[in-house]
Amino acid sequence: MKPTKVSNQIRTLRFHHGEMTQQQLAARVGVTRQTVNAIEAGKYSPSLEVAFLIARVFDKPLEEVFQFGTAAE
Amino acid sequence: MNASFEERSVWIQLVSMLLVLGGYFYVAWQMMSQGVTALPAYAAVFTVSVILMVLVLVAGHVAVAIATRPHDSDERDRLIGWRAESNSGWLLATGVLAGITGMVLSLPNVWIAHLLLLSLFLSEVLKLVLQLVYYRRGM
Repeated sequence: MKPTKVSNQIRTLRFHHGEMTQQQLAARVGVTRQTVNAIEAGKYSPSLEVAFLIARVFDKPLEEVFQFGTAAE
Repeated sequence: MNASFEERSVWIQLVSMLLVLGGYFYVAWQMMSQGVTALPAYAAVFTVSVILMVLVLVAGHVAVAIATRPHDSDERDRLIGWRAESNSGWLLATGVLAGITGMVLSLPNVWIAHLLLLSLFLSEVLKLVLQLVYYRRGM
């Protein structure tokens, strides 16, 4: 099930950043590993603050990490 | 089980509440069926139930803390808690209104007290179940 309309490239970006683990990303953003997992799976739309923090970790603009509506449409 | 400390904590609260307070309501129902109307008789059973529940909660959380590293709740945990609370409050409100109706109809105090207590219990159980649904299904 994918209840949110927000899709993302986090899994791909993690892979291209030295196969960063969800736990490592979670620690840098300040959330739990389960929350990163839920965001990746599209089960949870993060707050704007967390979304910006994730984009900053990957040194990418927000729209390259998160897309709205592309997965659901 | 791929669950955070917070989600496991919700499971512990739900199970302990169903077992201990569910047990209390079973005993209280038996007492009411036998015509016990003095509230102090129920208060003693209720006090024992609350103490038992605290012990079960502490033991459960210690066990989970040993198995899973505890962490502070994050924004998802908080949002799930708020949403579950806002979707379960109606049960408590319904119970309070039913309790007021019971007072108007001059029902025995023991029935009104347990109606209020039951609505609080059911509202809390619904909140915990909704939290688990939001953790698993997403939101």
